[in-house]
Amino acid sequence: MKRFFRKRPYLMFLLPGIIVYSVFVVYPILSAGYISFFQWNGYGPKEFVGLQNYKELFTNSNMMAQLGNALKNCLTIFFLSVIIMMPIQIIMAYTIHTKARGSSFFQVAVFSPQFISTPVIVFIFTLLFDGSFGIVNKILRETGFENLARPWLGIPKYGIYVVWIMMTWAGMGVGMVYFIGAMKMISNEVIESAYVDGAGFWRRLWYIVLPQIKGTVFNLILTSYIISMTVFDFNYILGGSGGGISGSVDTLALMFYRTAFGENSPLGGKVSVNAMGMGTTIACVLFLMVFVVALFQIILMFRTRKED
Amino acid sequence: MQKKQGVAAGVVKIFMWIYSLATFAILLYLVYNSMRPRNDFLSNTFGKPESLGLQSYKRLIVEDHFFRYFLNSVTILAVSLVLLILISSITAYGIARFDFPLKRLVRVFFLIGMMFPVQLSVVPLFLLMNNVKLVDNPLSVILISSAGISLPVFMLTNFFEKLPKEIYESAIMDGAGEWTTFFRIMFPIASPVVMSVCITTSVGIWNQFFLPLIFLKSDSYKTVPLLVTKYTGNLLRNVDMSMAVSVLSTIPILILFIIFSNRIIEGVTEGAVKG
Repeated sequence: MKRFFRKRPYLMFLLPGIIVYSVFVVYPILSAGYISFFQWNGYGPKEFVGLQNYKELFTNSNMMAQLGNALKNCLTIFFLSVIIMMPIQIIMAYTIHTKARGSSFFQVAVFSPQFISTPVIVFIFTLLFDGSFGIVNKILRETGFENLARPWLGIPKYGIYVVWIMMTWAGMGVGMVYFIGAMKMISNEVIESAYVDGAGFWRRLWYIVLPQIKGTVFNLILTSYIISMTVFDFNYILGGSGGGISGSVDTLALMFYRTAFGENSPLGGKVSVNAMGMGTTIACVLFLMVFVVALFQIILMFRTRKED
Repeated sequence: MQKKQGVAAGVVKIFMWIYSLATFAILLYLVYNSMRPRNDFLSNTFGKPESLGLQSYKRLIVEDHFFRYFLNSVTILAVSLVLLILISSITAYGIARFDFPLKRLVRVFFLIGMMFPVQLSVVPLFLLMNNVKLVDNPLSVILISSAGISLPVFMLTNFFEKLPKEIYESAIMDGAGEWTTFFRIMFPIASPVVMSVCITTSVGIWNQFFLPLIFLKSDSYKTVPLLVTKYTGNLLRNVDMSMAVSVLSTIPILILFIIFSNRIIEGVTEGAVKG
């Protein structure tokens, strides 16, 4: 035994990691794929049904409606993040990068919400947007926009946008810091020469800075896709496992949770005869949608590593 | 390098002042209102407060055992972090330092975890934990959290690979064994990367909601985020407690962050650039 390891010293170093990682990360993934081929409620007998769960998920009109709605919500969060949040992050990062007065204060302020746990963030936004004691309505009333005041959190069609605003406030800082990191790598000469040419703020940002950080932009778009597809905490806390009023804040992860662990209605949870089978099926579909993009990201990671 | 930036830059700066000040104003608003009695806040939200006091905090700490939840969170974070750092640095060192068959495959193997949302594996994990009687035991959350080594292994492997081979060779020449070399020499050298890994993973572990929600059922094991949702679930009854628990679980950490902000933000940037 000892001689076996002396000949292969790397095994001593690799084995603990391989074991822990295999048991708690790799095995559950494979097992989820396996369970998705069965009809099973989690404790009774398992019945092999092949691809029946997948077929049902995509043909049952109720399931399809839930899936479509959840997917639409996830993609809404993704597009809003890329189209609105990311440009703001880049502009903020550039302002801080140029050492504008107050930079370190901005950096701390924008990054701070990262340290606030999700339930607290949801609660803080309730204090802001609540119909009766919310600040937003108070401000609207005081400034003469009384007719705009409304119970923001109670209106289903605003639900997913509220979730997005919360996620943005919480996550703004991390992306921004990544962009600042990328901007630090740009050589000063490039930017200096742009100043000499008299390029203005937007021109410098668009023609000089952006092309240099496009790797980071691309990487964060992919990350943002993965986060949007798997978002759970905000929506669960805001709308419960049902995903809010008529599924207004439903997401794929929430749909999975509801199917696998039952809906916590006031009448008591209901778990279907196929809870685990269908639950893991949804999880696997979710995984496939993430996998394609994540694979791309990993290839990208290896490529940038080689360039150093 | 202060330069004239033009009107656009000025507008952006004004926006950033507003955004940053609003963030802090919101937090101060939370602290201020947490000292008001519930009915005063609900019926007279923007009026002059009836009285200011720490009664909600007292109830939170004395009757509702806030510090038990806090200690649970701290224990889970501390143990997970130690395990995660230990496992991932040993693994990364093993990959980077030695040549062995299928090395590329092993590297990709450790990256797989990054592609999988934790939701996917939670059913099998629950069944697994149920079999070994770890459901409703903090150890379940600790084990799962400390197995999330994909990104740490990736970052640390990159670091160890770039170290000159001479450091290792001279240590071995001096008669140090493999483990001594690792713990006495290699691990300390890696401390900047380890710091950066600590920062990024500890925020995630501290704030995690999904795993404790599923695995921890009894109140004596629950973590702070779960306690928060216990109050925020019924705001009309518990809005005062919700504010107190939000302040107590958020403000100390924010103060710590502000004190060490330079190092922390640098650590995150480092991770981004190197990872």
